[in-house]
Amino acid sequence: MQAVERPKNAQPWTNLGPKVKLSSAITIIAPSVIYLAILLTTGMDFMAGLFTIFLPLQLLCGAWAGYYSYGKRGITDGLLLVVTFFLSLFVFVLLASVLWSVIESGFQALSPHFIYQNNVYVSGKTGLEIGGVGHAILGTALTVGISTLVTVPLGIATAVYLTETRDFGRGTVRTLLQAMSALPSVVSGLFIYSMLILSGWSGYSGLMGSLALIPLMLPTVSRVAEESLRLVPKDLRNGALALGAPSYRAFFMVTLPAAQSGIVTAVLLGIARVIGETAPILLTMTIANGTNLNPLQGGMATLPGYIFNYILLGDPTSIARAWGAALVLLIFVGILFAAARVASAPKKAKKRSAK
Amino acid sequence: MSVPTQRKLLAKPARTADKIFFAVAKAAGYSSFVIIGLILFFLSIRAWPAFERQNILEFAFGTGWDNTLDPAVFNIGPMLWGSLLIAAIGVVIAVPMAISIAYFIEFLAPKPIAKTATVIVDLLAAIPSVVLGLWGLGVFTPVGAHWAQMLGDALGGFIPFLSNDTGTYLRSPFIASIVVAVMIVPLISSVTREIFSQVDKEIIKGALALGGTRESVLRRVILPTSAGGILGGVLLALGRAMGETVAIFFVLNLVFDEYNWFNLLEPQGGAIASLILARFGEATPEEVEALLAAGVVLFVITLIINAIASYIVQKAQPWRRD
Amino acid sequence: MANFHLEAKDVNVWFGARHVLKNVNLQFPENQVTALIGPSGCGKSTFIRTLNRMHELIPGAGFAGEVLLDGKDIYGEAVDPVDVRIKIGMVFQKPNPFPTMSIKENVISGLKLSGISRPDAGDLVEQSLVRASMWNEVKDRLNDPAISLSGGQQQRLCIARSLAMDPDVLLMDEPCSALDPGSTRRIEETILELKESMTIVIVTHNMQQAQRISDRTAFFLAEDNTPGHVVEFGETQQIFYGPIDPRTNEYVNGRFG
Repeated sequence: MQAVERPKNAQPWTNLGPKVKLSSAITIIAPSVIYLAILLTTGMDFMAGLFTIFLPLQLLCGAWAGYYSYGKRGITDGLLLVVTFFLSLFVFVLLASVLWSVIESGFQALSPHFIYQNNVYVSGKTGLEIGGVGHAILGTALTVGISTLVTVPLGIATAVYLTETRDFGRGTVRTLLQAMSALPSVVSGLFIYSMLILSGWSGYSGLMGSLALIPLMLPTVSRVAEESLRLVPKDLRNGALALGAPSYRAFFMVTLPAAQSGIVTAVLLGIARVIGETAPILLTMTIANGTNLNPLQGGMATLPGYIFNYILLGDPTSIARAWGAALVLLIFVGILFAAARVASAPKKAKKRSAK
Repeated sequence: MSVPTQRKLLAKPARTADKIFFAVAKAAGYSSFVIIGLILFFLSIRAWPAFERQNILEFAFGTGWDNTLDPAVFNIGPMLWGSLLIAAIGVVIAVPMAISIAYFIEFLAPKPIAKTATVIVDLLAAIPSVVLGLWGLGVFTPVGAHWAQMLGDALGGFIPFLSNDTGTYLRSPFIASIVVAVMIVPLISSVTREIFSQVDKEIIKGALALGGTRESVLRRVILPTSAGGILGGVLLALGRAMGETVAIFFVLNLVFDEYNWFNLLEPQGGAIASLILARFGEATPEEVEALLAAGVVLFVITLIINAIASYIVQKAQPWRRD
Repeated sequence: MANFHLEAKDVNVWFGARHVLKNVNLQFPENQVTALIGPSGCGKSTFIRTLNRMHELIPGAGFAGEVLLDGKDIYGEAVDPVDVRIKIGMVFQKPNPFPTMSIKENVISGLKLSGISRPDAGDLVEQSLVRASMWNEVKDRLNDPAISLSGGQQQRLCIARSLAMDPDVLLMDEPCSALDPGSTRRIEETILELKESMTIVIVTHNMQQAQRISDRTAFFLAEDNTPGHVVEFGETQQIFYGPIDPRTNEYVNGRFG
């Protein structure tokens, strides 16, 4: 078969003429330059000027560029592009602000001993040379670990229910899970508090904190797991069943391995979802200064609880500790996140090579 | 020739192991019923005395929260209104940004940039709320107060929402709303993006090739087909915003005695979730019941909002059903 | 006539309220290849799936009639569909080797999946691959992932996978429709060798293929919103060179479908 040559103007709108290029360049550069000049000469407030001078100027330029390149119908397009870019950039600036402040302030508290020491001998007046989040890291690992041990099998089994059975309740369960995904975290804490602690079945403890995280983690794990099971082609399942496999073997030997990377992603995202949860922990655990590895008894610190406590203390070194702990927490979240992306990446590569 | 009657096909698995396998899956599926049920049951049963002590309407809409009085007064009116107000303003601020980002990622950006932007938005979603609270308190509050002051000075005379006679612009619903908006932008944009990605790209290419403009395509093709799904995403975000606890706790001044109906820039507001966190530590037993009652109210409201939202989102995503 | 190994009696199929197959009566003699032909949507693929109870995995599927294997109804009360599928193997339209397993693991996957342990699993790999006539191509790379094979090889691997279960009947649902002519020819040769030891039913769109490999042919047709049914069933030579029904004549001579 002869290869069909792709027509040159298959995507006419990407084929930018000189007019478009010129006017786009002016639209991008001119308002910023003018605004910068005004800022430098009059010393006006950046934010006020951003909305009163820069944005109108940018819109004007956008409209002009649209008109210049495409005529009348280009005006609205120019305005649309300007608004879209402006608002998108705004989100990136906000994120950058959050990340940068955590990194900048967090690094001041960060040191090797900050990672492994606990806080037993620390008061508001103690300098940053002593004390750290070691106990909180261990506490977080323990509480989140216990929740993970319970939630992952439950979440995967729920995903199996949603994808492998034909039960009539699936739609309702899916809706409930979706609704549960926005369960206020403080309510999850109140739930465990009212069910187990207020009834006298247990004191405040790490285990209670872990239990309070389960309703928050379950929707994430089951949703991502469901999605990944759904991506496994029906043909594979049928292939296994046609060989005489009972459903459970077909699932464990064929479907589950094929969805493996998605399942790993589900677990990682589930952990990332709850690792920073604060409110449920504050209602079900007491935050200790020392290291405690017994989830059944006594106070136990966690990273979010630690951050919360030190913000409340309010003095500069405490706030610095809070920033340090926030940085540690964000690094963990970042690692989970990166791992989840790596885990879900090879799946796509495999799919491509299979085609 | 007549057709024989239908035979019953195997509805249930024959093997014991399979029976166990499906029974476990079914039990897990129903566990979400159980969890929601347990939450409702235990919260209600423990909060019951608080509901009994006072009229539920008064509890929900009255003002004042004081455990030193005799009898103690526990009413969440200003908190309930504050939650709604902050969530609503947060959504109003977040929606344009979220839709812009989603539009940018799905329709404007070249592949690599779109991928990076997706990662950035997902990362924003992964920031724990306590970290956002710290940022809100330590970094954003002074900046936001500065913005608020400029807004108040410039427009406060004409627009009642923005008037502020208290002399301070810290810890206001305005600042809380922006912090909440930062939290829910990624939520709305990821739902919107998913809906956008299902819009037939060929139709858009066709419309553009025929001389349509981006704006007309957005207005005539993209938005009409995705409006339902976006609305669902927005409601989902509203529910999340109402339940947000820690971040608001740090940036908002809780005032129990009077409603702040609409003065966004004044340093008084309310939020049920923050109330629970703020009072829980030193609460009297009676007060704990009232806090649990507040939890019930919050739970029921968010559950209703979320149920409606997820219904709409699922309706708008028929490809998710099987 | 030879004894009928597999027999479909008054098979009817519904999807929800839609009646898609009506009163299909076919007999499949031992050691013969039976081809099912007919235009798209006539229900032939649906029919072949009723023969090993894969049909009931489709949500909303309904069924009436009987399918007899050696005289016993496979839809009987006491029959476990899992046992049916062990005896009646199936090869699908699109090659579907298990992507997470190696070539070798794929061949013996049926044993593991159905929980049968056999001491001679190693010999079985070679035996099955030889019967699927691909041993020489893959004997040096048995531990490579199955998806590293070409499409035609993957399909023959799927055949080997079914053969490892030593089925009495092999069902093939358009096994060559996704393959190039070279791979198709090799699979046809394999089928002709395999029929010495089992009963084969094959759905095909390809009239020449049906003529080359089958002993008997059934022509399915679904006319204007009526359920699919068998128009004519007989020796392949007769169906192609002396069809009784005018519609069969039109179809095999390429006038429609």
